[in-house]
Amino acid sequence: MALLEMRGVEKRFGGVEALKGVDFALEAGEIHALVGENGAGKSTLMKVLSGALLPDAGTVLLDGRRLRARGVAEARRAGVVMVYQELTLVPDLSVAENLFLGRLPALVRHRALERQAAALLQGMGLSIPPEAPLRSLGAGEQQLVAVARAFVQRARVMIFDEPTATLSAGEVERLFELIRRLRGEGVGVAYISHRLEEIFELADRVTVLRDGERVATAPRSELSPERVVALMVGREVRAWRRAEHRPAGALGTFEVEAEGLASLQLELRRGEVVGFGGVVGSGRSEALQAMFGLRGRCRWRGRVLRGPRDALAEGVFLVPPDRKTQGLVLALAAGENVALAVLRRLQRLGVMVRARERSLVDGWFQRLSVRPADPGKPAGTFSGGNQQKLVLAKGLATAPAVLLMEEPTRGVDVATRSELYALLDQLAAGGLSLVVSSSDTEELSGLCDRVLVFRGGRVAAELKAPLRREEVVSHVTGALEVA
Amino acid sequence: MSPARWRWRDWLSRYGIALAFLALGSALALLTPRFLTAANLLNVLRQISVNALLAFGMTVVILGAGIDLSVGSVLAFSGALAAGLSTAGWPAGLAMAAALLLGGIMGLFNGVFVAYARIAPFIVTLGGLTIFRGATLVYTDGRPITGLPGGFDALGNGVALGVPVPVWVMLAFLGLTHFLLRFTALGRAVYAVGGNEEAARLSGIPVAGTKLFAYAYSGLASALGALVLTGRLNSAQPTAGSGYELDAIAAVVVGGTSLFGGRGGVLGTFVGALIIGVLNNGMNLLDVSAFYQQIVKGGVILAALLIDRLLSVRND
Repeated sequence: MALLEMRGVEKRFGGVEALKGVDFALEAGEIHALVGENGAGKSTLMKVLSGALLPDAGTVLLDGRRLRARGVAEARRAGVVMVYQELTLVPDLSVAENLFLGRLPALVRHRALERQAAALLQGMGLSIPPEAPLRSLGAGEQQLVAVARAFVQRARVMIFDEPTATLSAGEVERLFELIRRLRGEGVGVAYISHRLEEIFELADRVTVLRDGERVATAPRSELSPERVVALMVGREVRAWRRAEHRPAGALGTFEVEAEGLASLQLELRRGEVVGFGGVVGSGRSEALQAMFGLRGRCRWRGRVLRGPRDALAEGVFLVPPDRKTQGLVLALAAGENVALAVLRRLQRLGVMVRARERSLVDGWFQRLSVRPADPGKPAGTFSGGNQQKLVLAKGLATAPAVLLMEEPTRGVDVATRSELYALLDQLAAGGLSLVVSSSDTEELSGLCDRVLVFRGGRVAAELKAPLRREEVVSHVTGALEVA
Repeated sequence: MSPARWRWRDWLSRYGIALAFLALGSALALLTPRFLTAANLLNVLRQISVNALLAFGMTVVILGAGIDLSVGSVLAFSGALAAGLSTAGWPAGLAMAAALLLGGIMGLFNGVFVAYARIAPFIVTLGGLTIFRGATLVYTDGRPITGLPGGFDALGNGVALGVPVPVWVMLAFLGLTHFLLRFTALGRAVYAVGGNEEAARLSGIPVAGTKLFAYAYSGLASALGALVLTGRLNSAQPTAGSGYELDAIAAVVVGGTSLFGGRGGVLGTFVGALIIGVLNNGMNLLDVSAFYQQIVKGGVILAALLIDRLLSVRND
């Protein structure tokens, strides 16, 4: 009997079916990898398992007994623990206190606690001082503490969701060591990653998900990286295909220097669409931020960009990845958001010229068909796709020469997505240069003239049109690096 | 949420505060005949004028997601300077201008620490509160300054067109602040920075400059309040304005401006100041003990926040 079994798990978010009846099983003492593209349902499945989400249908069996966890705390009590990408530890408590968090006695005896923690950490081969405040550790070591906590909690099932994104190579080795140790103690480990090298190094079994369905489960020995990529991508179906257009003459060059990033020179042509691919932590986001003056040093057409204001003055605009926390002022009216980056052009002696503002806002609302067509409503009341249009309108209102975009269609519904693609394509045809950093390989292969694939802070490959999605996936996941 | 429901809540959260004010006024009018008289209402307006002036400046700071605890001390120092310069022989107008300038400079002082040193506004202006109070005591040697020229009395106790001068000053500054917040690029920047600093920065808004302005404006407002108060008392007291920051914040909050910034406006603050003023006035007319008055006032502030919380449209 399997340690854990999930049967026919279904989950929908609004109109989107994230999981369409998925089966998944985990043996005791097994590392079972889950792979799939973004949106395939990996994280959703694991959130159901960890109690963070309630499934619409299906059952979860632990030791053959039905597990009905309402919430993470109940799942934890049953022995199912998820290590999140974002840490769930308390930075101001000591390592020892964090290890025993939730099991601390009413009166904490620090000496005894630290002795216990020291023994535990030593037993796991970690040289982390138990009395140190967690805050004083690096991100990688903090993650290792989170994993070590699983031993204290006597987890039976442990779930890792892309745990290596922020780790150095040495820390990855120590993490893998810990995970193998967990396996040795009979824990069932579910492991999500986009990096195929990791999966082929670590996993005993692999399950591939695509579009909310399980397409394969097999022992690692029966799979090749090429086969996994093919299973992830499936048949090449594309909702949207860009029109053929040829980038015109040279526009300028970005020269980027930033910490953790090999120096980068990116020559852009007018109307060119360049994609940045790569897993989380590969450096593609960092490169894009640097190009907007947010980190490191950047020169664009010979001018140094020291911040967003410099970048905007030089015709460079960034559409940030998170529209709610970075893109929009949610409490302000939608129209006021659209006008936000060009206030200087809409004023006379400091006073806003309402007519000029209205015609600008109405123009962009119409051009991007923002719904509802009411610029007076707060931006926060618009749907995700329309919020993204608002951010885009704000950028386009600055009449940029280069539009930098990070995850431009994350959380955007399918219909709006193809609308956005058509718009971007039209803008490129009109001479606007685009740099699109994305984890969506379909987006990269469908939209771009060429794609730079980042790995470990440098451009590892440059792929040119015609782009095949499978090729992009192979490079991004590192399928080619698997020995 | 259905559109109809949204509109209903939107309407209530926008005008609820005015509605509450009308309800309060009607109740008092029924309870005591002395409330609804022109003399009494003008009296209320004059009584709230200093607090309202401070609160208008405070509104700008709070909309920018800040707080200014130093307003009472800024008021004291500006008032003392105006009085001191006058008794030293400066013309009243010039002394007042100097006091306004000093108020603005004290505001800039706060603003520099908040905007450039990135220290929490609460801490910075708490420091300002004691520093400026100390400076006032040093300047006045701890003694009131009296014997002011006639200009001060005219400002504090004069009447024009049947309305007390402080009320005119308050209304003019209300109009200026409203115009600034709603019709200028700077005002838009204040809302943007308070609503989402990161988004404002990525949109090229000069975030630090905007914050600097907000604190300078609050300093200016406090100095204006100082001139009115000094005029009304016909003297400058070194302890003037102690605890005024709390009344100003109360007026802003009761007026519906979010303490998290980016939501609200100065018209609401005016109504907030009115509610607090009318409440004080009404309880005095009804002979409510001063001890109970404090309890009621605090209760009203909490109730206002609670109602706002229940009505606020979730934006996420």
